[in-house]
Amino acid sequence: MIEDIEQLISSAVTEVFSTMLNLKVRLDASCNAMVNGEGHVAGSVGFIGRVSGVVFLYSTNSFARRMTSSLLGLTDLEIEGDEMVNDAMGELSNMVVGHIKSRLSDRGMPCVLTIPSIVRGNHFTIEPVSSTERRIFFFNCDGRQLVVEVLLKGT
Amino acid sequence: MKPKILTVDDSKTIRLIVSKAFKSFDCEVHEASNGVEGLAVASREQPDIIILDLTMPIMDGAEMLSKLKSNPDLKAIPVIMLTAEAGRENVLRIAKMGVRDYLIKPFKEELVVERVGRIIDLKPKSESTVRTRRFDDAINVLVVDDKPAIQDQIRVGLSDTPWTTHGRSQTGEAVDYCSQQLPDIILVSLSLPDGGGFSLFQMLRASNKTKAVPVFGLSVKTALEEQARAQQAGFSSIITKPIDFEDLKVKIARALHLDMSYKYFEQKDGVLVLRLPANFTPNVSNEVGNNLRSKVSEAVDSGLGKMVLDLSQVRTADISVIKLGLSALQLCQELSLKHCVIGSDAVSTECKNYEESKDWDFVGSFEEALAVLRGGSAVTA
Repeated sequence: MIEDIEQLISSAVTEVFSTMLNLKVRLDASCNAMVNGEGHVAGSVGFIGRVSGVVFLYSTNSFARRMTSSLLGLTDLEIEGDEMVNDAMGELSNMVVGHIKSRLSDRGMPCVLTIPSIVRGNHFTIEPVSSTERRIFFFNCDGRQLVVEVLLKGT
Repeated sequence: MKPKILTVDDSKTIRLIVSKAFKSFDCEVHEASNGVEGLAVASREQPDIIILDLTMPIMDGAEMLSKLKSNPDLKAIPVIMLTAEAGRENVLRIAKMGVRDYLIKPFKEELVVERVGRIIDLKPKSESTVRTRRFDDAINVLVVDDKPAIQDQIRVGLSDTPWTTHGRSQTGEAVDYCSQQLPDIILVSLSLPDGGGFSLFQMLRASNKTKAVPVFGLSVKTALEEQARAQQAGFSSIITKPIDFEDLKVKIARALHLDMSYKYFEQKDGVLVLRLPANFTPNVSNEVGNNLRSKVSEAVDSGLGKMVLDLSQVRTADISVIKLGLSALQLCQELSLKHCVIGSDAVSTECKNYEESKDWDFVGSFEEALAVLRGGSAVTA
C-alpha cells in the first residue's frame, strides 16, 4: 500500500521530536510492546483519501508527561492534570501525521486528517479489522520507549 | 503601545508554545481556540498580527481568513498561517489565500519569533524593564570560551554576586543555549577557532530573541587587532584578559542598567545615609555622582530632612572623595537638609588639608551623627 511506510514514519517522528522536544529518537526493532504495568497514553489521528488509516503514538504516562513538560517548557509540577498531557500528545500525533500527509500528497495521494483523539488506560490493545494492514514501530527516545502503530486501508 | 499578537489554534499546546515564544518580548499575546473566537478577539483587540491555524473545528483558518479579509476594520491585519501539512498543493493553496507568511509544524519557537519579527517591531522586554533591576538581582551570564579555565575563572570572579554563569565551549552550544534560555549578558571569546566569536556575534544580532542582549568580547590585552575588529563589529564592550572582575561587574551593571545606588545610599532612622566604600574607584564616584541628586531629592520628597555623609570606610580622603563629599553637602544646603560627616581621625585630618573640606566637622559614629542632627546643630559645608 505504502511501500516505504517505515521510512515515512521514521522521518516524521524524528523531525517532530527533534524540532519540538529536542529529543533524538531512533527506530529500535529490539523493543517489545510496553508491558511494565504503568498506564499508557495514546494519541491518534486518522487520514482519509486514496489511502486511509489511523496512526497511534503511545507511551507510558510518565514519558508522556515528560514530553509535555519539554514541549511546553514547564516543570512536571506545572503540568495541570491529564488535559495538558492529552493536548500535547494529540498535537504531537497531529504533527507526525501531518508530515506523512504532506509526503503522500506530494505523491498524488491527497488525504484529509481527522482531529486528534486520546486513549488512556492500563491494558488496552489495538486490533485491526481483517482488511487492514497493521504495522508497529518501536522508537528508542533516550532510553524511553515510544510506539507508533499504523493501520492502513486502500480504497 | 505594546504590539498585540493573536494566536488562533484549537490546540492549547500550540497556543502555549506561541505565548512562550514571545514571553521575553514586550508584547501582548491573545488567544482564541477557533475561527469564531478568533474573529471576536480580533475585533476587540485589533491585533498587529494573527498566527492562525489552518485546521480547526467550528470555523477553520481558511474561513476565518476570508471573513477577516472581507471586514474593512480587520482586513489589513497581517496573518501568518500555521499548518501541519507541508505538501506542495497545500502550500500553494495557503499562498493564494492572502496570508503574509506561513509556518509548517513542527516549528521552533525562534522561527515563529523570526517570522513575526519580520512583520511587526518586536522589542525585548529587557529594554523596558531592566532599569528597575538591581545589582543584587539574579543575572544570567553566558560565557562562551573554549578554555574551561577561563569559564571557571569568570564563575569564581563573579561568585560574590547572585549572578549565575553558564559556560559553553563552542558557538553551536551557545546558540542551543540561547534557544532554550535568554541570557542577560553574553561574554564571547574573540579567539574562538575560525573566527567563531565573530560569527556567533552575527548570529546573536540576527536573531530577534538575542539581538538586544549585550555581548562582550573577551580578548587578551595585547590582541589589539581583534579588539578593534570587535569594536567595529558592534560588540557592546571588550573585556581584556587577565580580567579585572570589579571592572567587569561595573561594565555588566552599566550594560544592563542595573541600579547600584542601593550600595551607597540608604534611608536609616529617618536619615539619608551616603556611605562611600573602602575601594573608592572612579566607577564608584561616577555611580554615586550620577545618583546623588535624584536620591537626595527622593529622600526630601519622602519627608526626610537629614543626611549623613559616611566616610568611615574610606581608606584615604583624596581629591575625588572630597569633590563628591562637597557636591553632596552643597546639595544638602541647597535643599535645606541638616547634615553631618562621619569619618576616622585620619580621614578627618586629610580633609582638613583641602581648602574645600577644611571646615568639615567630623563625628566618629552613626549614633553620634544622629545625636548631632537631632540636637539641631547642622554641620556647615
